[in-house]
Amino acid sequence: MRLTRLAVPRRRTELGLIVLAVALTASAYTLVSLGKTATVPTNIRPFVAVIGVLLISAHIATRRLAKFADATILSIAAVLNGIGYVFIVRLRPDLANKQAAWTAVGIACYIATLVVVREAKRLQYSRYTFFFVGIALLLAPLVPGVGYERNGSRIWARLGPITFQPGEVAKLTLALFFASYLVEKRELLAVAGRKVLGVHVPEFRHLGPILLAWGFSIAVMVAEKDLGSSLLFFTLFVVMLWVATGRTAFLGLGLVLFGAGATTSYHLFGHVRTRVSTWLDPWINATGSGYQLVQSLFAFGSGGLAGAGFAQGRPGRIPAAYNDFIIAAIGEELGLFGTTAVLLCFLLLVGAGLRIALRADTAFDKLLAVGLTTILGMQTFIIVGGVTRLVPLTGVTLPFVSYGGSSLVVNYVLLALLARISHDANARLGESAPLTWWQRRRAKRAVAAEVTSDAGHGSGNDDETRMLGGPG
Amino acid sequence: MNRQIRRLGIALVVLFLALIVQLNVLQVIKADELANDPRNSRNAERDFGKPRGRILTADGRVLAESIPNPDRRSPYAYVRRYPGGSLYGHLTGYFSFVYGTTGVERSYNAELAGRKVTLTAKRLKDLLSSKTITSDVTLTIDDRVQRAAAKALGNRRGSVVVIDPRSGALLAAVSTPRFDPTPLASTSTATTKTAYERLRDDPTKPLLARAYRERYPPGSTFKAITAATGLETQVVGLTTPVYPTLRSLPLRFTQRPLRNFGGSECGGTLENVFRISCNTSFAQLGLDLGPDKLHDGAVAFGFNRSPPLDIAPGSAPSTFPDVPFFVRNDPALAQAAIGQGQVAATPLEMALVAGGIANGGSIMEPHVMAEVRDSDGNRTRSEPRNEWRRAISPETAAEVNGLMVSVVNDGTAKRVALAGVQVAAKTGTAQTGRNTAHAWIIAFAPAENPTVAIAVIVENQPEVSTATGGKIAAPVARRVLEAALAAQAQ
Repeated sequence: MRLTRLAVPRRRTELGLIVLAVALTASAYTLVSLGKTATVPTNIRPFVAVIGVLLISAHIATRRLAKFADATILSIAAVLNGIGYVFIVRLRPDLANKQAAWTAVGIACYIATLVVVREAKRLQYSRYTFFFVGIALLLAPLVPGVGYERNGSRIWARLGPITFQPGEVAKLTLALFFASYLVEKRELLAVAGRKVLGVHVPEFRHLGPILLAWGFSIAVMVAEKDLGSSLLFFTLFVVMLWVATGRTAFLGLGLVLFGAGATTSYHLFGHVRTRVSTWLDPWINATGSGYQLVQSLFAFGSGGLAGAGFAQGRPGRIPAAYNDFIIAAIGEELGLFGTTAVLLCFLLLVGAGLRIALRADTAFDKLLAVGLTTILGMQTFIIVGGVTRLVPLTGVTLPFVSYGGSSLVVNYVLLALLARISHDANARLGESAPLTWWQRRRAKRAVAAEVTSDAGHGSGNDDETRMLGGPG
Repeated sequence: MNRQIRRLGIALVVLFLALIVQLNVLQVIKADELANDPRNSRNAERDFGKPRGRILTADGRVLAESIPNPDRRSPYAYVRRYPGGSLYGHLTGYFSFVYGTTGVERSYNAELAGRKVTLTAKRLKDLLSSKTITSDVTLTIDDRVQRAAAKALGNRRGSVVVIDPRSGALLAAVSTPRFDPTPLASTSTATTKTAYERLRDDPTKPLLARAYRERYPPGSTFKAITAATGLETQVVGLTTPVYPTLRSLPLRFTQRPLRNFGGSECGGTLENVFRISCNTSFAQLGLDLGPDKLHDGAVAFGFNRSPPLDIAPGSAPSTFPDVPFFVRNDPALAQAAIGQGQVAATPLEMALVAGGIANGGSIMEPHVMAEVRDSDGNRTRSEPRNEWRRAISPETAAEVNGLMVSVVNDGTAKRVALAGVQVAAKTGTAQTGRNTAHAWIIAFAPAENPTVAIAVIVENQPEVSTATGGKIAAPVARRVLEAALAAQAQ
């Protein structure tokens, strides 16, 4: 192989994908308007201008501050955010401006994160700050005068004119804390204590953290009736622990503790029992506790393969269709094609996140990337699985798509952290000027030719070959 | 760590695959089932803006139709209107987005909406072609008879039900007061709600289809059933026994004897006591029959059963107490035999009783659907013609027919008589308060070959006597019978 470039900034690819995302969002926006009033929206030009400016700013910031970052994550987020926004316009036009404002704030925070966090690994030194901020945020809704209850969950806080869900921010700071804590302790945690039934069990004092996380997630669930977040925290911690130590026993232990926690809360709390019985048979009480889920299933069924079309369905029947249940609204109007496309976007995002984790070269970067990706992936699974009755329903937002400022802003920060980790890793492989497109093509052909002729050697076959293969 | 990260990747892919499988289950495998679940209001919403077939009377009057929505900005392309107005409100029912669908709109919804045809098209195809084949439903109701019935009843509360005893077809079904369904089918939720709440809160209950949803004590019209049961079981003959002439009939288990209206004195053969509607004699006949036979006789005529009327919601069942109720309770049995006490019947049921006697003892399934034609003109459903109940033998029916003829010629129902056509009838006065009674009549004509049967009730008349039914209800029945026979002659 004759490649001389070790890392390629792929900002032009990103720009192209962003243009596609803008085009897709603008078309969807136009179709919603056509579906609703049979007219092309009068503000289509300013609309395209605004989202264009927002995304191009994010793109330029990435170009300047994280040149070697992964090219796909920002554009995938843009597509999801765009589709979500269009559905919010369609379902709750009164909330559209707020969502647009939050999107702007989110992108501003994306840029700010890139500006402030110049090196991801430095974050690990603020470990306890993150921990205490996270705990404080999680508990904030329980503080009288600050927190208040809405829709049966006490997960909201009010600060002046702004209301937000502190738990959304907490999941990020806690992921940061977990990553840096585990990086330090992973050696200790990985040490086998005794062998029980052929399985290595870590010593009890090293189990402290996992037990603490478990107890904490249960406590949050009890106090705030927020099943979704506690499930997310718990999964996040178990996964990070497992990745950090490489010990499968932690997964098994996590499963056991999850089972114990789930059983206990099932017996203790009425709302948990309701969720489970609704999941097992929503039809028994189709007009009561099962109403929302039944309406969601109807929406998916009525959507069928191709969907009713933008603004041609009736997803307004589903309570919270613009929020937790937005995938059901998408399912009704865009059909299986639409829901699958959205899920594939998330899968690409998860794939990109894990690729970033694989390439990252410090343990902290790896672990943080794993944590952030797990948040995105698990949150998507929890809510889509809940809305489709694959698993019991626990309310969390669909990242980037659902209505909600806290979630949107936090997810953009999360994205910026992934971009930062990605940049750090790629840049370390060698900074150099970008290849021109013909150089890239020639390189690709050379690789292809080499692979064909060297088939017997079985050298790498993915695009990393191009990055890593060099004079050595 | 990389090994764990790759495994995590596999795990997340598996979870996402599970999601995609589940979405396929919901959106492909179970899609039709979910989309067409009756609890899925999307069907109603979708149908609401779509054109529906018309509802017509037998003589071609349009009762319900869909017209293009004059409001171009509305999400609904079509609106439903009811040119038949309040006269047909209970029959057509309403097609309301807020309050659901009732009447023929509901019982023939599949045909009117045309869903049965579109179901064969797949969703993807629906996007490309929007052709819907709707069907028109023609009723057996004749506009001339319906209008005559409404006019004869005037604004008095009550009901008129006219059937063709040979087929069970309803020729008219009027209930007063009535309601206009058009505002209830409005595309404006506010209009619909205002109209509905006003009707719902009206103490005269205009939304109630008295003709088949309200039960009244049938009073002396029930004596037709008592007499028919007596004859059928041979407990009584036309000329024997001769009932003693009494002012009041002493009863076991009570200090209060059963009296005739106004303290009058009567008795004699069945022919005589039926003609003048003698309470004491019929109470005695009821006691002679006993609870079992009287109960079975009422059930044979359709009591305690819901007539299979094709209007939604269906007909209320008429009620006759179960046998144990009469144990050591002669007063109740005597009251039941004269259609008082715990006996209650819908006007439809009493029209079916008249129809059963007229039709040789066979009660046909009551119905309003004459035919259904799709928009290509093909007849997809035709009028049913099934026996609902075999009430009595043809011989008994002929005897009761004769009894009812004498009621018209020389009894309480003289005012129902028509020139040139022999009418048979039985009047009734069902006491409801100290000084109020429902005026009833059941009748059919021509007596020798009946083609029309009728039941009339006029509620709460301020007079209680044997004559009330004959005075108030008989003239109504006469005018309606005249109109029905004239319509049939054409």
